[in-house]
Amino acid sequence: MKLEGNIKSSSYLPAHGFKIKARTKNVRNYLFFLFCLLSALMLGVVLFCIVLFIGKTGLLVFKDVSVMEFFFSTKWEPYDGKYGAAIFILGTLSLTALTMCFAVPLSLALAVFIVEVAPNWVKKILRPMLDLLVGIPSIIYGYLGLTLLIPLLRNITGSIMGDGLLAASLVLTVMVLPTITRISDDAITAVPKDLCEAAYALGSTRFQAVFRVILPAARPGILTATVLGMARAIGETMAVVMVIGNTAQIPGDLLTPTAVLTSNIVMQIIDVQFDSTWNYALYMMAFLLLIISTLMILIIRRIRGKGE
Amino acid sequence: MMKNVKSFIVAIMAIIMFIGFSFGGFIAKASAASTVSGKITIAGSTALLPLTQQAAKEFKKENPKVTVSVSGSSSIAGPQSVVKGAATIGACDWDATKPVQGFSAFSGLVAHKIAVIPFATIVHKSNPVQNLTTKQLQDIYAGTITNWKQVGGKDAQIVVVNRKHGSGTRVNFQAKALKNANFMSKGDNYKEVGKSGEMLAAVESNPNAIGYTDLAYVKGNVKAVSYNGVAATTQNVVNGKYPVWSYGYLLTKGQPKGADAEFIKFIQSSKFQNGSLKNLKFVPVSQMK
Repeated sequence: MKLEGNIKSSSYLPAHGFKIKARTKNVRNYLFFLFCLLSALMLGVVLFCIVLFIGKTGLLVFKDVSVMEFFFSTKWEPYDGKYGAAIFILGTLSLTALTMCFAVPLSLALAVFIVEVAPNWVKKILRPMLDLLVGIPSIIYGYLGLTLLIPLLRNITGSIMGDGLLAASLVLTVMVLPTITRISDDAITAVPKDLCEAAYALGSTRFQAVFRVILPAARPGILTATVLGMARAIGETMAVVMVIGNTAQIPGDLLTPTAVLTSNIVMQIIDVQFDSTWNYALYMMAFLLLIISTLMILIIRRIRGKGE
Repeated sequence: MMKNVKSFIVAIMAIIMFIGFSFGGFIAKASAASTVSGKITIAGSTALLPLTQQAAKEFKKENPKVTVSVSGSSSIAGPQSVVKGAATIGACDWDATKPVQGFSAFSGLVAHKIAVIPFATIVHKSNPVQNLTTKQLQDIYAGTITNWKQVGGKDAQIVVVNRKHGSGTRVNFQAKALKNANFMSKGDNYKEVGKSGEMLAAVESNPNAIGYTDLAYVKGNVKAVSYNGVAATTQNVVNGKYPVWSYGYLLTKGQPKGADAEFIKFIQSSKFQNGSLKNLKFVPVSQMK
């Protein structure tokens, strides 16, 4: 009897006002669906517009400059009509490569340390610290690079300026280190404990367990971390512009001022006229950066797909 | 933890309210006198930036209903921002309605002469070099003189700092100090910086650097070097001995109206010209013949 009463009074049964309630529920559901759809559409439209606008403006440069000159000439003298962007493309590639050379081994070592070696209380300090470091604005890194790192480099190397690829890559290393470390850290933590225990049971040392078992098992995650770090390094502007030297030349060594795509764009974009070849050339460089970062995201998806 | 956050928020609110009330009271007091309102956006020259910033500060005090935002990147950005509509007033170290070396004239703009800008070659304070001749400067900036001992300094390589293309200081320095000689554009001892402030930072932080700015920026760890034996001072500009100077201009699209017109009038007023403008080591326009 009691149960029956409960059922009767609950809204499962057709009761007074049920129809109206159902309708408002339907409308609410529908509205929410519409809102979600619109949000997704808006994101798509924005992305499409960015690609379209940057690409369209950028490609205009090839009306006045040949493709060969833009990609392979190292003569960047826009006021004399010479638009060779090879210096910046090479600069960006070598800066990223150098940064990765410094950052990946360091981050991996740090991640392995956090997961496998460090006692719990150290983990509890290190992880939030790294999260905090990810969020520090890049201009702060750049400023520290300008005021602390460059004089230090001048003293250590005896170079006269200190600006250049080395300074920029060191600043970038500090910037991407937390990103790569945190994601690798998660990947290594996710490696099943069984694997590790099996390795130890077979008599391997900690070194062997880490290098033969844990790191290979965490490889997809580590690769994702590396590519994400690389994407951040390629797109970084403010920190780089402060320590790179901003001179359009192929550097003979790591301590000679040079320029990269991002630093060159940010230095010159305010000073050029809207409808000038110079402006289009800068947009083309931005488009190149966009293409590179899209490629990186595709690579990440590829790796993730395989890992699962 | 929560308690800390709460008290932190309360503290922040208290600070904001304190600032808000003190400024609010201040504005209410001053607004009785002025009727000008509107929004002024100034972009362009960083050589003129100390001047436009100071003027904006004083102008806002007298005309609290006007909002003035001042920014600086380089001279060429001044007329360009005005043409694009991004700024109402463009600051430029040359008369952009006429062509100068490397830059064509901007049509449809009106130029207002607001100051005389003296420029100076700067080095680190510890550098013993006191004077450079035209020829020495030309050779340093062409990259043929590379060591300070060649011009009477220590045995150390010269680090040449240049402003980027589009800088009005660069245009005037090249025309008046280097007598239109060419700049070097490459080298392991050469770098380009964007703004006057960055130029100051670059020379201040390197004992072997050479650069150039307007006199308003000569402070801290840098010193101005004499040019052909004449010290870079405002007096020497006025009496005609020191040739490295130019007029500074504000540019508007057509004749200025409303707040823009009032602001330009304010900078050109003898009160501002002989007061703050002089203190910042610029020279009043009226003193030049």
